[in-house]
This record gives sequence, C-alpha cells and structure tokens, in this order.
Amino acid sequence: MKLLALYNRVNIITTVIVMLITGIIYYQAISWILTNQKDKDLKVEEREIFDYVKLNNHLPQTFESNDQQITFTEARPGSVKREFINTMYFKRWDKDNTYKKHRYRHTGEYESGRGLISSVLVGDKYYKILIVESKVETEDLIRLIFTITICVILFLLLTLLITNRLILNRLWQPFYNTMKELKLFNITDTKEISKLDTNIEEFKELNHAVLDMAAKARHDYKDLKTFTENASHELLTPIAVINSKLDTLIQTENFSDRQSKLLNDLYGAVSRLNRLNQSLLLLVKIENRLLHEKQRINLRELVEEMIIQFEEIFQDKGLKLTYNLEDKEIIASPYLAEILLSNLISNAIRHNYNGGEIMINLTGEQLIIQNTGGDQPLPDEIFTRFHKSSGSEGSGLGLTISRQICGNFGFSLDYDFKDGYHTFTVDFNKH
Amino acid sequence: MKILIIEDEEGLRESIEEYFSEAGNICETADNYQNAMVKINLYDYDCIILDITLPGGNGIDILKSLKEKNHPDGILIISAKNSLDDRLEGLNLGADDYLVKPFHLSELKARVTAIIRRKTFNGSNQLIFNEITIDLLAKEVKIGKSVIKLTRKEYALLLYFIANRGKVVSKNAIAEHLWGDGIDMANNFDFIYSHIKNIRKKLMEAGCGDYIQAAYGMGYKFTEQ
Repeated sequence: MKLLALYNRVNIITTVIVMLITGIIYYQAISWILTNQKDKDLKVEEREIFDYVKLNNHLPQTFESNDQQITFTEARPGSVKREFINTMYFKRWDKDNTYKKHRYRHTGEYESGRGLISSVLVGDKYYKILIVESKVETEDLIRLIFTITICVILFLLLTLLITNRLILNRLWQPFYNTMKELKLFNITDTKEISKLDTNIEEFKELNHAVLDMAAKARHDYKDLKTFTENASHELLTPIAVINSKLDTLIQTENFSDRQSKLLNDLYGAVSRLNRLNQSLLLLVKIENRLLHEKQRINLRELVEEMIIQFEEIFQDKGLKLTYNLEDKEIIASPYLAEILLSNLISNAIRHNYNGGEIMINLTGEQLIIQNTGGDQPLPDEIFTRFHKSSGSEGSGLGLTISRQICGNFGFSLDYDFKDGYHTFTVDFNKH
Repeated sequence: MKILIIEDEEGLRESIEEYFSEAGNICETADNYQNAMVKINLYDYDCIILDITLPGGNGIDILKSLKEKNHPDGILIISAKNSLDDRLEGLNLGADDYLVKPFHLSELKARVTAIIRRKTFNGSNQLIFNEITIDLLAKEVKIGKSVIKLTRKEYALLLYFIANRGKVVSKNAIAEHLWGDGIDMANNFDFIYSHIKNIRKKLMEAGCGDYIQAAYGMGYKFTEQ
C-alpha cells in the first residue's frame, strides 16, 4: 500500500468519524436547546391558563393557532401527573392549501410536536390540560444544520483528497526520484547517483545517506575486487613452485604404486587450484573490463577450430557430434571468445555420458549448443558462482565466466532443457 | 647449451635449474635485477629465462638493455601477469616467447629448446633423434627413409617428447600442451593414453625403436633405453 493511500485512508476515516461525532453532539445540543425553548413556551402557556382560570374561574376558550393546540378533558381528581411529552401535532391545512386538501383528501397532517400535560381545578371540576406545540420548525432547523454538516464533511473530504493528491505527490517527488536512482544503482557501474535538489530536510538527509551508501558500497566492492585480484596474483607464485617441484619430484625414479597414485592426485589438485585461480583472475578482468582489445572474429572458424581441438575427447567419450555452422562475424576480444566457446563445449562434453550426443548450431542470430546428459533440467543457479553439480570436478566458475563474457559482448546466455537436451543459447541480438 | 635463469622465487629458480641441468647444459641463475645485469653483460647465453617482476628492477628493462646492446641471446619471459598487453609488450621488445606462471617444467623446456633450435640452427630445419628425422618446416617425420603420417597433435607430442627426452612428462603437462589451459576434463586423461598408443604404434610400425615408456601411471618418458 502506498504511503499516500494509507495516509489518505487514515485521514478520511478520522475526518469522517470526527465530523459524525461533532454532528451528533451538535444535533443533540441544538435539539436540547430547542426543546428547552419549547418547554419554556409551554410553561408560559400553562401559566396563562392558570392565570386565566384564577381570574375568570372558568376555562379559557380553546382556539387553534398555527402552532399550538390546547385541549381540556375532565379527569378524576389527582389522576394527572404533570409532565412534558413528545407527541404528534395535527396540523390543519389552510385554505390556500386547497391543492393538498384535494389531493390527499385529508384536512391536515401530523407533525411531531412537544406537549405538556398539566391539570387545573376549575371550581370543583378537575381538568386535564394538554398543550401541544408543533416542533416542525425545530426539526427543520435541525435538518438544515445536519445538511450543512454533511455538506461540510463532503467538501472537506474532497478538498483533502485533492490537496493530498496534488501537494503530497509533489512533496514526495524527491523521495520517488531517489528511489528510482536506487533501483537503477549498479555496483559495477560508474554512473553516480545524482544529487537531489530539494528544500525538505528529510529528503535531503535521505539523499545524502543514499549517496554515502552508494559511494561506500562502490568503494568496498572495488576493494574486494582488488583484493581478489591481488590474492589470485599472489597465489600464482606458490602454485608455480608446487607445480615445478612436482615436475622435479617425478624425475626421481622408483615410485611405488601408492606413491604414484598420491602424486597423481596432487597433480590433479594443483591443476584444479590453478584453473580456479585463473578463473577468478579472469572474472575480475572481465568485470573491470580490462580486456578490451577487439578484433573481427569469424565465429564459424573459431567453432570449427574448437571442434578440432576437442576431437580426441569426442572420440574418447564416443560422443556423436552434429553441427551446422553459418558464417557469423563478431567484433570482440578473441581471447574471451575462445574462452566462451571452450567453456560451453567442454561443459557439453563433461556433463555428457559415454556415447551421448552434442549438437552445435550457429546462425546469424544465435549459437546453440545442445547435449545429452542428466535427464533432469538443471536448476537456475547454474550461472551463479561456485555452483557445481555433484561429482563435477570443474571450478564452478565456467558458466559464470561464460555469462559475464556474453554480457561483455552484449549477448545473452540462457539455459533450457527440451526433449532431453540441455540447451545453451547465445543470442547475439539481446542485451 | 648455456642458460641464464633470472627469477627471484627461490623454489621456482631451483626447480628450473635442476630440470635444465644435464650433460652438456650450463645453467646460471640470478635472483635480482643487479645480478642479472652483471651476468648478461659478462656472458652470452643461448637462452635467458626472464621473470618480469624482480627485486631491484623490472624484467622488461633487462630485455630492453639486451636488445639495445644487440645480444643474440634467446629470451623467454615468464610472468604471473597473463595480460595481452604485457605479452605484446614483451614480444614487441624482442622476446622470443612468453610463458605464463604457473607452468610445467616440461613446457618450459620445450619452449626453450624451440628458441635455441631457431637461434642455433639458423635456417636449418631438421631435428634428428637417432633414426627419427623431423623436418620442422614441412612438419614431416621420417623414420630412416620412410615418411610416417602423424596428426597435428601427434606431431606436437613427438616434438614435446624429444625436447624433454630423458624426463618424465606428466599427463597434466601433456594435456595442457596439446589442448591448452582450457582443458578441464576432470583429471580424466584416458584420452592421452589412446593418443600415446597411436603414436607409438605408428613409430614402431615404421621400424622405429620403442622410446616412449609409461612412468608409474603419472606420465610418460621418452628415452633411448
């Protein structure tokens, strides 16, 4: 959920609740005041009746005014309790309201009213007095107040929505800008995150923090790369020494079977160590884009060369190789191109079974290398560093390097598993 | 042949010295820039094995100085820096070859032998080992009078063996020599065995002695005995 939406929602809900509560309180207060007012009027009327009775000793004549009805009924003495009631007020229509009279065939209508029940003693007769006043005006007033309140709420909401949308969107713009920059941030890129032009302290701080973080991340990454490169370089000499010592050692005669087995294992381990180290160095070089000599390369010729290079190994494993090569020229580092092809083809051999198949297809758009092998598709992690299938004796960097090289050339490298063939596709057009 | 090894790493220097020291070879060593300069100014060598990074100076400067004074010595650079720029710089300055560390001693020997052969035979292009005669230009191998047909790799392998005669050459070294550094076949060097078998068969069918011997399952030895 967007901050703005959340903020709006909270804002609207609180506004509506507060407005409703105010409305209710307002309504209660006003209706209380108005009822009070009516009650006062009723009391005045009651007092007038009492005064009249006292003076004239008979009941006043009842007459009907527009908003007041007084009725007297005889009652058992003491049976009437003085009280205010909410009741109905029957309003007779005037003569000018003949239209309504005609239409509803009534003489009037009921309106809500406020009444006072009281009693008076005239001579020895006990009368119940009922004074009813119409409350219609009060209710009109309340209705008006209510309408106004609702209108104000709606208007407020509308204004809030609009201002939020307009102003908040604008206010948050620096934040969104910074976020966009962060999304585009690439640690290997040299492109800097741009400075933000804003007066808002928080966003300024955010931008500063992001800038600092990016600079630090880049710096650390560079340090790490330098470290990798230096470490790999430093490793070369001891590996060279081990290698040469082993070469010297095997010149001394008379090894037992056990010794020669140990030596063989040592050779294997050293050559793996060496390849691993070379791969790390190569990765650093590709990432640092240090290999920029470019030449026109005919990929078809290069693939054919590779096939000849690997010929004995194809034969040894009894692999059936089919290939269909078209001319394709690229301008790239020949060193890297060779490594790419060598990696892909040697993978196709290594992860194959004896008597399997390899198919190489080169067109103007794609280079596709397919091979038989395991019957399960490979996981997505094959392109990540040091991912190895169990039992693989490779460095675990081959495909990482291959993908890096493709990235460097502006190609894409993808894996697919179809019809039992592990398929690696180099697409020359994708970026 | 007379060889100067300029290398500051003691272990490596000793190994190279030991590997190259055999009847008829003189090996001298220098472990820093100054010693190296002294030696190259006093003597001539058939081949100088030159490390680029040295205490007290840069191997490239030694190379420049050699070329300025028109020394005829063959020069092979060994360096930990596997970058094309370094390689090109070294070769442009007149080095004869460039080998990246780490390397197999047999590979170094093969390269040095090739340099010396080019220098000393000067245009002559025949390599003779007992009844084997190799025409290096035509890449033709004769046993006595009869020409045998070898594949590209078999030919390279034969040259490699002859350069390292009397030495045990490991399977790793052979694989790397023939298939390059890229060879990453999981220590499964069975295909080398069939390769050696083929070349041996071809040589012996033409009446050549059996010079290639398996050495303890680790490698092979090309020897007259």
